[in-house]
Amino acid sequence: MSQKETHSISVALAAATCTLLGSGISATVDAQEEPAWDFNTSLLYYGEDGDRVKDFSVSAIARRMFIDDRYLTLGLTIDGLTGATPSGAIRQDVAQTFTRPSGNAAYSVAAGVLPLDDTFKDTRLALTAGWQQPVGDTSQVSVGASASKEYDYLHLGVNAKFARDFNQRNTTVSAGIALSMDSLDPVGGAPAPFSPMLDVGDTSNRLGDQDKDVLDIVLGVSQVISRDLVVQANYSYSKSDGYLTDPYKVLSLVDGTSGDTLLRSIAPGVDGPSHQFLFESRPGERTKHSIFGQAKYYMNGKVLDASYRYMSDDWEIDSHTVDLRYRIPFGANRYLEPHLRFYTQTDAEFYRLSIPDSLPLPGHASADYRLGNFDAITAGLKYGWRTHNDNEMSVRIEGYRQTGSVPADQLIGNQVSRDNFPDLNAIIVQFGYRF
Amino acid sequence: MKRTVGVGAMTILLCTGCSSMGVEPWERDVLAKQEMQLTTDEIEAATDDHIYFSKEASSGGRGFGGGGCGCN
Amino acid sequence: MPSSYSLVIASSQGQKRREIRLELAEDAWHGRFQAMGSPCELVCEAKKRHEALELTELVAGEAWRIEDKFSRYRAGNVVHRINTAGGRAVEVDDETADLLDFAVTLYNLSERRFDITSGVLRRAWHFDGGDRVPSENIVSDVLRLVGWHRADWRRPFLQMPSGMEIDLGGIGKEYAVDRCAGLLREQGSSACLVNFGGDLAVSRAPEGRRSWKVAVEGDAEGEPAHLIDLKQGALATSGDARRYLLKDGIRYSHILDPMTGWPVPDAPRSITIAADTCVEAGMMSTLAMLKGAQAEPFLRAQDVVFWCRR
Repeated sequence: MSQKETHSISVALAAATCTLLGSGISATVDAQEEPAWDFNTSLLYYGEDGDRVKDFSVSAIARRMFIDDRYLTLGLTIDGLTGATPSGAIRQDVAQTFTRPSGNAAYSVAAGVLPLDDTFKDTRLALTAGWQQPVGDTSQVSVGASASKEYDYLHLGVNAKFARDFNQRNTTVSAGIALSMDSLDPVGGAPAPFSPMLDVGDTSNRLGDQDKDVLDIVLGVSQVISRDLVVQANYSYSKSDGYLTDPYKVLSLVDGTSGDTLLRSIAPGVDGPSHQFLFESRPGERTKHSIFGQAKYYMNGKVLDASYRYMSDDWEIDSHTVDLRYRIPFGANRYLEPHLRFYTQTDAEFYRLSIPDSLPLPGHASADYRLGNFDAITAGLKYGWRTHNDNEMSVRIEGYRQTGSVPADQLIGNQVSRDNFPDLNAIIVQFGYRF
Repeated sequence: MKRTVGVGAMTILLCTGCSSMGVEPWERDVLAKQEMQLTTDEIEAATDDHIYFSKEASSGGRGFGGGGCGCN
Repeated sequence: MPSSYSLVIASSQGQKRREIRLELAEDAWHGRFQAMGSPCELVCEAKKRHEALELTELVAGEAWRIEDKFSRYRAGNVVHRINTAGGRAVEVDDETADLLDFAVTLYNLSERRFDITSGVLRRAWHFDGGDRVPSENIVSDVLRLVGWHRADWRRPFLQMPSGMEIDLGGIGKEYAVDRCAGLLREQGSSACLVNFGGDLAVSRAPEGRRSWKVAVEGDAEGEPAHLIDLKQGALATSGDARRYLLKDGIRYSHILDPMTGWPVPDAPRSITIAADTCVEAGMMSTLAMLKGAQAEPFLRAQDVVFWCRR
C-alpha cells in the first residue's frame, strides 16, 4: 500500500468518527511521553577580586522517576580552584617571607600588602546518590550517600530523612540525620597546633593524617497557610569532632607594645620565614544550633521567597541571615528574579588578629577572617526562560561583599592605624539548564 | 543555646497545632507550581550553600549542613 | 486519607445492583463503577464532592445505558433481537444505525478484516491462557456464519442469514467513552478524564497540573513501560494481556482474522494509540493489530502517535 493510500485511512476514519459522534468533538490530541530522566545542570564561575580565589565548577543532577513516586537521584560536581587566600598573617611595613605549606619552597609578600597564600590550585570531585520513596499513604523516606575528593581532603557521608504528612498534606513534619567521616592529608602534613612556621625543608613539626567527623540532625515542619502561602521552620543541630583546624593558616607573633611581627633569624644559605608565625589551633569539637524559617508567597504570578536563619555555636559565633528572592514572570516563558541576602556574624571566642608575646598563649587561636566579625551582602539578578523544546535555561549574576572589623581591644600599637580585616569582594555567574 | 532549642521546639509544636489551617486538595494548583516549591532550584541552592559554607562560619539551615569539603 | 462513598443505583430493569464508589485521592475525585465488563473510572477536578458525584452518575448512567442497549447478553435489546431474528429483517433506531454505518466503513477500510459478524468465532476459540486450540474442522464450521458480505444492511433494516450474529464489543467501549466525554464537555465545569478499562478520553485539560498523567502497562508486573502526559484527546489500547492461548511455544492472540477464522499471525502483544477521540484511537489500534507483522509500518504511515509492544 502506498504512503498516500495508507494515510487516507486515518483521514477516512476521522471522517467516519465525526459522523458517528456528531458535534461536540474534542480538540486535537496532545499526548507526550514523559522522559524517564530529568536533568539539572549548571556551569558556575566564582571570582574574588585581585589575586584571590577563583573557582570554576560544572554540576549535574540526574533524577529518574519510577512507578509510585519513587526516585533515584545522582549528582556530580567538578570544581577547579585557583587563586590565593589570606594566610592569617598581618601586613607589615616591611616585606615578609613565608615557607609554603608544602615546606618545599618560600614566597615573599611586599611591604604593606596583605599576605596571601596561593597554594590553592586544586580540583575537587563530588558525587552524591539518593533514593526516595513513599511509605504508606502519608509518609516518605529518603536515604543517600555522598563522597568528595580533592588533593588533600576526602569526604564520605551518609544521610537519611523521614517525612510525614498531616491534615490532608497541609502539614509535613520531617526529621533527618547525616553523618560525615572526613579525613585530611594536608600538603606537607598537618602542622602541630601553635608550632612555629619552620625553614624550607624542615618538617619536624608535622603530624600525620587527620580525621573529622560531623553529625547533623535536622527537624522541620512545613505548613500550607493558604492557597498562595506556604511556610517552613527547621531546627538544626550539628556536632563536629576531630581536626577542625585549618592546616594552612597562621597567626603573626607580635611585639606586645608595637604590635609589629617579631623578626626571625635565618641561618645563612637557608630559605625560611623572615618573621615569626605560629600555626593556628582550633578546638577539637564544635556544636552548632540553628533555627531557620522560610515563607513563599504567591502574588498574582509573582513569587516572594523570604527566609531567616539564626545560628549559634559553642565557639561563641552568632549569625543572622536574611535571604530575599522575588520572581517576576514575563509572559508565559520568561522571568526575572532579583535577589538580596544580608548576613552578619560575631567572631569566634578564639579569633585573634595576632598573638602578642607579652601575654601567655591562649588555649586556641585563629586569624582566619571567616571566624571573625563581619557583615556580608549579596545582590544579584537571575533571568530564566523556557526554550522552544520546553526545557528551562537560566543565568544569574551576583555580587558578594564582606566587610569586617577586628575588635578594638585586640589592636596593639601600630596595628591600630592599619587596615586589618581582609574584606572580600566576589562575583558569581551561573548558567543553568534543565531538561 | 538553650534558648535556641526552646524557640525551635516551640515553633514546631505551634505548627503541628495548626490543624485547621490549609487548603483542600483541589486548591493546590498554585502550590504545585515549580516556583512555589520550598527549594525551587536544587543546584542553585547547593551552589549557594557551598559558597557560603566556604566563606562564612555558618552553614545549612534549610537542609543538612553542607560541607564535605576542605574549604572550612 | 481517602473517603469512600457508596451509592446504589438500580438498573433500568431493576434487577442488577450497580454501585458507584467515590474516592478523594491526591488532587482529584475518582468515581468508580463497573460497566461493559471493565472497571470504569471518572477522574475529575471538581471543587465539591456533590459535583463529582453528579458527574460520575452522569457518566455511569450513559455507560450503563449503552451497555444495556448493545450488550450481547441482555435479552430484549436491539442486538438480541438482531441475533435471534432467524433470517428476518429487523428495524433499528438511529443510534444503532449510526453504529452499523460506522462498522461498514471500518469493514471497508480494513479490507474486510474488521467484521462485526465475526463474534460467533468465540464458539470455537476460548482465550483463557490455556492450550486448547480448536481443530480446523470446528473453525471452518463456524466460519460459515461469518462475513458481513452475507448481511443485507439497508438503513434502517438489517437482515442476516439465520445463525449469524453481530457483536458490537469492538466499538462499544470506545464509543461510550467518547459519548461520556461529550456529555461532560456540555456540562462545562470541571476538567475530567473518562477511563473505561484503559480506553480513555479527556474532557478538558486539568488546571492544577499541566496534563493528565496516564501510565501504560509495561512488560513486567507493575512496571510501566510508558508514562504519558495527556492534555487533550484520547488513548486506547488493544492488547492480549489476559486473552491468549499458548501451545507448543506459539502464542495465539485473540485478534481473529474473519477470512480464515484463525488468529492474525505475528500480531503485537499490545498497541496504544493517542488520537482526537477514543473511537479513532481504538479503531486505529484494532486495524493495526489486524495487520499482524505489518502493524508498525502501517502506524508509521498513518502518522499517528502510538506505542507498540511485541
